[in-house]
Amino acid sequence: MRAMGGRWRRESVFYLFALPFAALTIVFGLWPIALSIQVSFTGSATALRAVPSYVGWANYATVLADPLFLASLWRTLLYAGLSVLANLGFALGFALLLNTAFIGRMRGAYKLAVFLPVVTPDVAGYVVWRWLYDQSFGAVNAALKLLGLPAFGGLAAPATAMLAVLLAELWHHAGFYMVIFLANLAVVDRALEEAADIDGARAWQKLWFVVLPQLRPAIVINLVYALIQFLKTFTVVITMTKGGPNGATNFLSYYAYQFFDEARYGEATAMATVLFAIVLLIAGTVYALGERGRT
Amino acid sequence: MMRMLGHAIAAAVSVIFLFPYLWMASSAFRSTRAVLTAPLRLWPESFDLDGFTAILRIGDLSLWRALGNSLLITGASTALAVLVAALGAYAISRRPKAAAFRLLRYGFLLTMIYPYMLLVIPVYIVVYKLGLLGGYAGIILFLALGPVQFFLFEQFFRTLPGEVIEAATIDGASEAAILFRIVLPMARPVVATVAIITFLLNWAQWFPVLVISSTSDTWTLPVALLNLNGELGANFQGIMALSVVTTIPVAALFLVAQRQVIQGMTDGAVKG
Repeated sequence: MRAMGGRWRRESVFYLFALPFAALTIVFGLWPIALSIQVSFTGSATALRAVPSYVGWANYATVLADPLFLASLWRTLLYAGLSVLANLGFALGFALLLNTAFIGRMRGAYKLAVFLPVVTPDVAGYVVWRWLYDQSFGAVNAALKLLGLPAFGGLAAPATAMLAVLLAELWHHAGFYMVIFLANLAVVDRALEEAADIDGARAWQKLWFVVLPQLRPAIVINLVYALIQFLKTFTVVITMTKGGPNGATNFLSYYAYQFFDEARYGEATAMATVLFAIVLLIAGTVYALGERGRT
Repeated sequence: MMRMLGHAIAAAVSVIFLFPYLWMASSAFRSTRAVLTAPLRLWPESFDLDGFTAILRIGDLSLWRALGNSLLITGASTALAVLVAALGAYAISRRPKAAAFRLLRYGFLLTMIYPYMLLVIPVYIVVYKLGLLGGYAGIILFLALGPVQFFLFEQFFRTLPGEVIEAATIDGASEAAILFRIVLPMARPVVATVAIITFLLNWAQWFPVLVISSTSDTWTLPVALLNLNGELGANFQGIMALSVVTTIPVAALFLVAQRQVIQGMTDGAVKG
């Protein structure tokens, strides 16, 4: 009996250790998520009251019938797709370049330059980019003019705003994907490449048949992270465009935020749930596909 | 030939990535008129400090208060995050099969997948219900929970040799003694890495700070910057000066600890 008491006392210490972590996870994670789902079924005007009035699926019906929401959803999917391609393409290309033997001692400096934006406060980075794109102040158009290239509409034109935002986000995020690729490249088997060399493989054949299959883990991780990242793009929008011009950069997170800002909590949380389901579905599918391909 | 081309591309990309920093720093010391005349010039004609004097007050908020808020909120949330994640990850990795811990881990993962910006909306309601709206406590507590911290600790504790703990248990050491006298001293490098990364990430946080604040009294530097940037007829030089102030502390910390930061962020992502 005493032995059992001592054992339980010893075990209970672990629950004590985990208590703060559990408390924060519940209070700032699970409770808000549950609350968000609950609020999405209530009328906005009563959402914060002790006894809110429930409206069933009405908020979801409103949201899904809202053409602006659907437009924003497609825009978000398009943007996420393009961003994933651009970011991972650039990060992989640059990592492969840095991994070549001839880069030598400069590798560290190049890597640092591309990674620095990752740890730079995103607001500061995007504020600077906003002004870099500016038509009268901006260095971007001044540089294009210097090179004899046509001017870039930047954030002012609906046709170029999404590209301008995409490039600023690439500047901020790509360094992270690059170091994941570099970490994977460091454990790639060089002997396989040498064998391919002996067999007379061309550079692209070596890349496609020997290197890329070995980079599968990094590709899967980066895909999942980048998809989650760009499906919920927000800071860049609130800093640089406020969804404009003419809605060209009004992605889902920002669209939902505008409802929240107007205290339309029911619709805002309904959108949040829809976006969460989409993120979970897409990221989960990619992850599952990546895991299955592993064996 | 390949060699030259490779270096040329890598150098060009690096210059493009670093250019915004140079332009920001130079524009902070150049009058708006000077930037309009020569947007590409990087060395200031003269060191004009108007931008910095203009941001000593940002609306109702003094620059020093914003800086103090940033240091307080980032420092406190970092310390708390390290402690909470270390204890939680340790307990879970010592008893991975306990049902409550498995549930907790799944709950945590779910939270981390939830779109962060949309989590803040219900967090606003939670903080409101807890009566923490407008104070520092709500902001600090919310920022004390993050994925990188937990995964880095969990990974480290999983690799702990079981014999060390067994030996100490046989010697009659209590679990608290094992953790604080044996395990945590061994975890010192991880603690340092997690603390640095958390500081960098939390310094940049702005949305929870803005949402949980009721006045500008609790605003941090990024929130003040966002606000200044959103004003009509914005003061360009002041915005660049505030961007410099917001960026320099973390850029300096990163350059000092770059190896640990890059390694830690890679591990935190890969093993999670």
